[in-house]
Amino acid sequence: MNTIIEGKNLVKEYRLGKDNYVHALRGASVEIAKGEMVAIMGPSGSGKSTLMHILGCLDEPDGGEVCLNDRRVDGVSGRELTKIRSRELGFVFQGFNLVSTLTALENVALAAEYAGTPRKLALRCAERALRRVGLADRMRHMPSELSGGQQQRVAIARALVNSPAVILGDEPTGDLDTATSDEIMVMMREINETTGTTFVLVTHNPEVGEACDRVINMRDGVVATTGDEVSVTMQPFVEPGWSAEPSMAVPT
Amino acid sequence: MTVIRNIFRRKLRALLTISGITIGVFALIVMGAMAEKITLLVDGGLKWTGDKVTVSAGSASLGGFSTEPLALSKIKTIEKVPGVARASANVTMLLSKKQSAVNMGMPPMVTGGDGRDEGYESFELRYSDGRELRTGERGAVTVGADLVKKLGAKVGEDVTIRGKRFRVVGIMEKTLTGPDSSVYMSLHDAQNLLHADMPEVVRSNVDRHSWATGITVYVKEGYDPEKVAASINKQVKGVAATGPKAFKEQVGDSTRIFTSIIFGIALISLLVGGLSVANTMTMSVSERTREIGIRKAIGASHFPVIRQFLSESAAIALIGGLFGLALGALFTFAANSGNAGTPLFLLTGRLVAGSIGFALGLGVLSGLYPAWHAASLNPVVALRYE
Repeated sequence: MNTIIEGKNLVKEYRLGKDNYVHALRGASVEIAKGEMVAIMGPSGSGKSTLMHILGCLDEPDGGEVCLNDRRVDGVSGRELTKIRSRELGFVFQGFNLVSTLTALENVALAAEYAGTPRKLALRCAERALRRVGLADRMRHMPSELSGGQQQRVAIARALVNSPAVILGDEPTGDLDTATSDEIMVMMREINETTGTTFVLVTHNPEVGEACDRVINMRDGVVATTGDEVSVTMQPFVEPGWSAEPSMAVPT
Repeated sequence: MTVIRNIFRRKLRALLTISGITIGVFALIVMGAMAEKITLLVDGGLKWTGDKVTVSAGSASLGGFSTEPLALSKIKTIEKVPGVARASANVTMLLSKKQSAVNMGMPPMVTGGDGRDEGYESFELRYSDGRELRTGERGAVTVGADLVKKLGAKVGEDVTIRGKRFRVVGIMEKTLTGPDSSVYMSLHDAQNLLHADMPEVVRSNVDRHSWATGITVYVKEGYDPEKVAASINKQVKGVAATGPKAFKEQVGDSTRIFTSIIFGIALISLLVGGLSVANTMTMSVSERTREIGIRKAIGASHFPVIRQFLSESAAIALIGGLFGLALGALFTFAANSGNAGTPLFLLTGRLVAGSIGFALGLGVLSGLYPAWHAASLNPVVALRYE
């Protein structure tokens, strides 16, 4: 397998208070191939978002190794992680997270500018990315003037603008109705197939899992199964003595 | 443009914060303009007094203005004192018989000179219209720039000074000191005016043309005016001579304290405005935590986040500063136009640049902590923020 991201024995703890720790990852290992479209699923508290944050260089593991494109990225400086995020990774979040005071075009161009592209060129790249997601006629609109599906397409264009190797999505269809959700999945699949961009999507939605090449099921901070068994994620796992819904402040 | 959009996400809060800076800069401009005027008057006064020694009758008086009579015969005695180059007599009195309650700088005055200062006076008067007085010219006056409106003076027409009519022969250019609020006439005419005001009993016993109210002494090169003043006090009886230092000490120092207090009050009001900018920016960072998380997730490093929030706080301060400047300028202009005498305010370039610069600096400073806080946010924590 031509691996693009690999996590080995990843451990992550969050301290809630004195002597009160949440073990979000307890030795999770995962390997994702170039051009793959993978869903990470699991019940609340299983550690899927934490895994995505670590694989996406947004957070650092307390233990284990992370490799991106055959390069160790755990333990590199915060500045270096920022660079990696801006140039090699793209993100799509739940809730159409666009900057409300910027137009669709400016939102997309922002990611290119952060990656060091000069403003004029960044705007041209943003225009191209927005055309790619079918929003050529909505470029000058503010986020509040766009529907939920259109906003998520802007977010996809933003993730695409720097031609990253990997796009990570945290519940990318979470706030969308079924029809729009399907539309977004079709678009991501089309991008995946035509550009070879790897997609790693954290989701609760079994339909998203089914649309992916493979599902990584998380349970209790470790990878429980990896394959296409979507059904596993539908059974909430509750460890004895542990609350199924941990604090909102803790990424899980 | 994005900066402005971000500031006005919360319109009312933005307007209130901008108002805080506007009021602060307005106070700084108005009070500063007052302080600038006073400073300029004093600086002008120092230049006006120059290296001259002023002599009055009896006890010393500030600036050498006295209405106590001084015999003209003293001129010859004074000119014999070593170091004295020339002594010139003058009669100085208030323009109006009724004293105005409030006056900035010098009140409007009438001065009659004997012309003996010609060739010695280093303070050069220029005329915007007409000409200077000829030595001994009677029935004619030259009018200071600030009194033109008050007296309705026009060259070639008459004005009434203390009940008597005089022909205006010249209007002086602005000097920003004493001459602006003075009417100049011959010593003879001024002596007549002063004499007319004396009580009947005194009037009949005084030879009006043998007295003056002051003598200006020009010092020879190489002599210290303070020492010459001391020599005059020692050698000439019945006079009080003061050098330029007395004016500097008495007026200069108190002016500095006064202007410091004025500036201090204005700066405090601007600092309060600065605190409101800091408060607004802190709240703005808190409200936009999730947005900051997104920005950081898609690759924003520290610098763009800091720059974003600093430019917003600087823009708030700049908008407030420009409004404050506009209001302050309008106010000082209106107050100066409404006042017929000496203008009360002077809006200088350094005051405008200083006020806007200070407001801008304060805006940047107020935004420093919120901007740094925003840039230091952990993207994962920020993304989870509800």
